[in-house]
Amino acid sequence: MSYSFGEGAPYNSAGGDPRGPVVSMRGISKSFGHVQALRNVDLDLYPGEVVALVGDNGAGKSTLVKILAGVHPQDAGTVTFEGRQVSIPSPAASRELGIATVFQDLALCDNLDVVANLFLGREVGGAVLDEETMERRSWELLRQLSARIPSVRMRAATLSGGQRQTVAIARSLIGDPRVVILDEPTAALGIAQTAEVLNLIELLRERGHCVVLISHNMADVQAVADRVIVLRLGRVNGRFRAPAMSYEDIIASITGVLNLEEGTPEDDIGERGSL
Amino acid sequence: MEAHRRTPGSQTSLREANRGRIVDAVRKYGGLSQIELAGLTGLSPATVSNIVKELAGAGVLNTTPGTRSGRRAQNVTLAHGLGLVAGVHFSTRHLRIAVSDVAYTVVAETHMPLAKDHRADNELDRVTMLLDDMLESVGAAMIDLLAVGVAIPAAFDQRTGMIARRGVLRGWDGVEVADVIQRRLKRPVFVDTDANASALGELRLGAARGKDDVVFVDVGDRIGAGLVLNGRVYSGHGGMAGELGHTVIQEDGPLCECGNRGCVQAIAGGEALIQRLQSSGRGAKLQDVIVRAMTGESDSVRAIADAGTAIGIATANLCNLLDPERIVVGGELARSGELLLGPMRREVERAIVAGTRFAPEIVQGQLGVNASAMGAVALAVDRISIQPEDATAAEPGVSAGVASSVLAAERSTAREVAAE
Repeated sequence: MSYSFGEGAPYNSAGGDPRGPVVSMRGISKSFGHVQALRNVDLDLYPGEVVALVGDNGAGKSTLVKILAGVHPQDAGTVTFEGRQVSIPSPAASRELGIATVFQDLALCDNLDVVANLFLGREVGGAVLDEETMERRSWELLRQLSARIPSVRMRAATLSGGQRQTVAIARSLIGDPRVVILDEPTAALGIAQTAEVLNLIELLRERGHCVVLISHNMADVQAVADRVIVLRLGRVNGRFRAPAMSYEDIIASITGVLNLEEGTPEDDIGERGSL
Repeated sequence: MEAHRRTPGSQTSLREANRGRIVDAVRKYGGLSQIELAGLTGLSPATVSNIVKELAGAGVLNTTPGTRSGRRAQNVTLAHGLGLVAGVHFSTRHLRIAVSDVAYTVVAETHMPLAKDHRADNELDRVTMLLDDMLESVGAAMIDLLAVGVAIPAAFDQRTGMIARRGVLRGWDGVEVADVIQRRLKRPVFVDTDANASALGELRLGAARGKDDVVFVDVGDRIGAGLVLNGRVYSGHGGMAGELGHTVIQEDGPLCECGNRGCVQAIAGGEALIQRLQSSGRGAKLQDVIVRAMTGESDSVRAIADAGTAIGIATANLCNLLDPERIVVGGELARSGELLLGPMRREVERAIVAGTRFAPEIVQGQLGVNASAMGAVALAVDRISIQPEDATAAEPGVSAGVASSVLAAERSTAREVAAE
């Protein structure tokens, strides 16, 4: 009835299987000089789920997603995307595969309006931009996200924090990625904007995207995540699944009080989580 | 939006459609400037200005001068001259807030997912901040709130003002819910169990309208019932009536959170369903079970049908006791429709002592996920239209004695509107 992962698993073998993982990372290690940022990390991402990566500062969360985003290549280990082994040498390659990343600083151009930000580098039209098409597609996209943005001709500088986050996420969705990585999407947001972003994460999940969420806010993580992966000092120190994860267990795992050995299949942990 | 509003022909119908567009947009965004409305609706600024002026004259919209990007602008909101009420619904995994006027026109709503085992202090802080934000977006302030209704997902003891049983909603144990919120908001607050609130919501605005004896069955992570007897929500001696989920239907069944074995909730509640279907390394939510069942995945269909059977048995027992006219099924799992209702109906019809002829009709709720939030609004509206001395006498546990002069002045108008 249950399977963990690996070769023998019934759904994992076929690449196009909608129930198999989109991304499988195996034995990922990465060091910067003498600092070993990641040691032998395994991670599976399935479509239509929200996976939270949590951990202390310097635990390796950002390094792990930067490997997926094509910012750093890994030193060892393999990345499998939809069943085939891939290398992600550059951010463009990552995009090409269908992995979209929204970094913490959002990287919006304050002096450009929403439409220009959404289509920056991917403008529609030749020598003369097809503003009309871009504006229409911006509205479509924002409406799908139930975005509360009153005008797409507002400059990014005038948007609220939640609206900026929404625009950044909307931009990542152009090209229909399979995996959306959000780095601290709710940091520095007010309560209403946080609600907006959390709803948006649920919406992405419903639409079948896999969302990887990096956050320090346990309430947000617990609210939307299906699985929580705890990193500690570059290692996976705990894996929890939705109904059985408790705040205390996650914190204990982050701080190292609870130490789960590496590479334990998630099914076992799921059951142990109900201690 | 454009497609279904496109009307052929006359100038009048076009104007009608444009009016609808503007009201829709204002409702969605809360407060907007006229120029933003123009961008959003695709109408020319002149048209927007004309229509807004007309609707403001008719008392539908409200305009206040403001500034936007340093320029003068007309800020447009929905009119709410009679005062506002707020309905707050905490479910196990969601927080929903609706701000409405006393005629149940919702002027702002918010929703956010909550952590499992959320803590009362944290969430009540959030409610305060979200309400502040929502009221500001419609151009109102906390003082404009006449009352706040709160629905919580556990049996609520009206005498102590706390959750009736420890351990069911862990983060909320020992919290005097009404008092705590009242202290933060400084507005009168009324609390009830979410199933009762949903029943009230469906009674006022949904599938139970015009019926006197109705049972609302709330099926989600939790299973509960709201009883409407003689046209009123019946919450029992201490407020704990309607715990349908803790009807024992299998004496040696699985252990329930209440400590008994074989409760319906332990067999057919959301968590039991998810656990039964969860096989792979990924997480799952009740929503996923419903979606999968709707796409015809046999495991999920079967699980929901079995849940329907179990809930049907409990409901049948209840029907034999109360003889309701109609059963309204709501809550998250009710979205699976006939997959759940069919097996329930079969069990109820089979078990009715008086014969199938007397079986109540079983229908899906009309308010969907908003039932409890709207019910909480109704809870607040109901309480502000009764006299303060009645309120304190009728509700000993709930502090309804906050009868500010604003409240008294508004009350008669409120009643008139409610009567319409």
